[in-house]
Amino acid sequence: MINYIIRRLLFFIPLLLAVSFIGFVCINLAPGNYFDSLKQNPQVSQDTIRLYEQKYHLDQNVFTQYYYWLVNISKLDFGYSFAYKIPVFEVLKSRMFNTFILSLSVLLFSWLIAIPLGIYCAVNQYKFTDKLFSFFSFIGLSIPSFFFALLLLYFASLTGILPAGGMHSLNYEAFSPLGKFLDLLKHLIIPTLVIGTSSIAGLQRLMRGNMLEVLRAQYITTARAKGLPEYRVIYLHAVRNAINPMVTIFGGSLAGLLSGAALTEIICNWPGLGRLMLDAVMSQDLFLFAGDLLMISFLLILGYLIADIVLAWVDPRIQYQ
Amino acid sequence: MKVIKTVFSLILLLFLPFFIAHPECACAKNKPKYGGELVLSTVTDPKSFNPIVSKESNVGAIMGLVFEGLTRTNGVTTEVEPNLAQSWEVSEDGKVWTFHLRQDVNWSDGVPFTAADVVFTFNQLIFNLDIETSSRDVFTIEGKIFKVEELDKFTVRFILPVKFAPFLRGMGQEILPKHLLEKVVSKGKFNYHWGLDTKLEDIVGTGPFMLSKYLPAERITLVKNPNYWRKDKQNKRLPYIDKIIYLVVQNQDVAVLKFEQGQIDYYGLRGQDYPILKPKEKEGNFKVYNTGPDFGTNFLLFNQNRDKNKKTKKPYVSEYKLNWFTELKFRKAVACAIDKDSIINIVMNGLGSRQDSAMSPSAGFFYNPNVEKYEYSIEKAKVLLKEIGIYDRDQDGIAEDDQGNKIEFNLFTNSENTQRLALANIIKKDLEQLGFKVNFVPLSFNQLTSKLDSTFDWDALILGFTGGIEPHFGNNVWQSSGHLHAWYPKQPKPATSWEAEIDKIFNQAVQELDRDKRKQFYDRWQEIVAQELPLIYTVLPQSIFAVRNKFGNLNPTPYGGAFHNLEEIYIK
Repeated sequence: MINYIIRRLLFFIPLLLAVSFIGFVCINLAPGNYFDSLKQNPQVSQDTIRLYEQKYHLDQNVFTQYYYWLVNISKLDFGYSFAYKIPVFEVLKSRMFNTFILSLSVLLFSWLIAIPLGIYCAVNQYKFTDKLFSFFSFIGLSIPSFFFALLLLYFASLTGILPAGGMHSLNYEAFSPLGKFLDLLKHLIIPTLVIGTSSIAGLQRLMRGNMLEVLRAQYITTARAKGLPEYRVIYLHAVRNAINPMVTIFGGSLAGLLSGAALTEIICNWPGLGRLMLDAVMSQDLFLFAGDLLMISFLLILGYLIADIVLAWVDPRIQYQ
Repeated sequence: MKVIKTVFSLILLLFLPFFIAHPECACAKNKPKYGGELVLSTVTDPKSFNPIVSKESNVGAIMGLVFEGLTRTNGVTTEVEPNLAQSWEVSEDGKVWTFHLRQDVNWSDGVPFTAADVVFTFNQLIFNLDIETSSRDVFTIEGKIFKVEELDKFTVRFILPVKFAPFLRGMGQEILPKHLLEKVVSKGKFNYHWGLDTKLEDIVGTGPFMLSKYLPAERITLVKNPNYWRKDKQNKRLPYIDKIIYLVVQNQDVAVLKFEQGQIDYYGLRGQDYPILKPKEKEGNFKVYNTGPDFGTNFLLFNQNRDKNKKTKKPYVSEYKLNWFTELKFRKAVACAIDKDSIINIVMNGLGSRQDSAMSPSAGFFYNPNVEKYEYSIEKAKVLLKEIGIYDRDQDGIAEDDQGNKIEFNLFTNSENTQRLALANIIKKDLEQLGFKVNFVPLSFNQLTSKLDSTFDWDALILGFTGGIEPHFGNNVWQSSGHLHAWYPKQPKPATSWEAEIDKIFNQAVQELDRDKRKQFYDRWQEIVAQELPLIYTVLPQSIFAVRNKFGNLNPTPYGGAFHNLEEIYIK
């Protein structure tokens, strides 16, 4: 097992190199660079723009740019953001916590609802409740998140129960620690609902499908035939087996903890990484984009590694050599 | 003068970092009160608090409350007036300016403001080649920088290489504290100083407010500077308001919701918001102000580039197209075919103004209303086209020129601006009525820029520049050698006699210190532009905003927006 993990970790290096290089190529394929936005300002001379481009090697080809970036990365220097003029890591750090909180809340919300719901629907297949939940699942899957967010915000502004976006109340500073926590929870509700709904819908359908598959297996019939109580059949035998694919999906969603959801963040005014990165890509803030890409891809492959390890633990049939 | 979204330009107006001291005071009955807070919103999160390095408009707006220049622009009259400098004189040749600074100004940390700070800001920040700032280009004339020297503790002398008429307006440049930044500059770290990770109490200015708290992508809080030097008529220290909060709200629909909920005190309206918000004025306790035409222009232009691509030896614009585009009657016909009233009604919900002159009517002094105007008339346009041999010969619905070429061309605009897209669609329809085949393609902003300044492979464009009140700051657009002379940039020598005349006007006007004589130059320039139509102006959005009814001394103007005199505004 240890050997396997070390091998997987070593494999991270070429993977991350490939991902970051593709990122560099993609951003270079788009016309222009970050400093193009200055070109429409009649008070900025072309020499000034050329000076900036030289300073950051933007006048060179993509290989040279990538080389300079790699050299810095090897010294653990992610470079400075063009727009923010501070180290890339500082920019990411300022939003990381907010994104993490929201994603965690979404993760808990969606998994804690979707898994039991999936099991319930599978067990009660084709009954009224199953159909009802399926109906809502399809609505959840098909409603555009920005529209759902606006709808909820409109509702919030009509009733005044929930805050219309943002992460902290204006007088947040004055609250007690408990008050601060409750304030945060209140602000979390709408974005969590918006992002969570679509993922609940998807996860619920998946879990239901897995479960149905397993319930049709012969060992379930055997278990029932030998007189095991139904709850033991479902929870001990069926769920244990149906959960395997979900573990892999869960590993993948670990990367989502820090990737953010730009559209919802913009509408709900959530100060997360998603909209920061959207801006960075739009304005071609190269080093910020590359740094974030590196971080997200690292988390993604780490997530899958963890999923694989957990899978081995959940299912004794799986062994890594 | 970058191309911006119209929505954004409304917001921009609010944040123009200029303030005035003398509002028309019909408010003598209401005695100003101290205290209270003002909540504003901004579309984009600031990216840096460094006013020299970061030139974003929204940062400029906020930092304009923290820092001040030697002069400032009056939000009502748009005149230059004293700020940190209380008076100045200029030598007879117009090149040596001596400024006498106020002696009662302290930085917000209590250290006195002196001439050394001014000299430091110019010599060690703006003219320091290691520092990334576009301010350097503003203070560089014909490749030469200004000489700035300290005469005594409160007197500074600027020696200019040549006469420069917009000099005083340029002196609105923010002055930064030497005592805090000298070490940073000598270590070469200024480019990265005062970023978003800075402790805000280290950012020290002379302005009415200082930064107090920043929550990334959520809000910026400013509190009043207890050391601010300006006093009201009763000799009490300004500002009246204790606290200003900028909420970062990226989505305009959410901003409306927040305004209606009473969470923010100000909202810059888009055309579509007007019918929603106007009827709610009483109920919501706010007032909608329309201060008239804005500064953000929208115009159509044709590629008149007569050069050849150096690599492929092909002309940038094929010869027959160039013949149309350089033909004045062709451009006049197009100007007559644009239905400005429809654009205003359909795209702007009736809240726009037609633009005939190269300057916005709100620009005040330098605006020339007496230029040639082109009324909508398809018949007149067709007559003009027939005179140059363009009409539909084979009855297929598409006009041909006298060599039989079909009048077909590409029309580009930037896809980020939805209002401009709608405008472009109407213009396309108008041009089709003339029998033109127009292939309209929206492009991303960067793609458009690279077409404009390096590949030159375009036929027609719809663009916008944010205009201002100082014509000379559009120098790069109007001089034939300028890189933003969009229809034919960087000409070695003027291609036409009217371009030569505009070059001459701009060169003479910048050296003319007498305002009225300067105005004559710029009046003539606006006449030529309307006559020759290198840019065919269409419509200007109007500057409309809603402000909660709780402020005293409020005096909204087209140039300054609602809060140009923020330090004098109080909460009733």
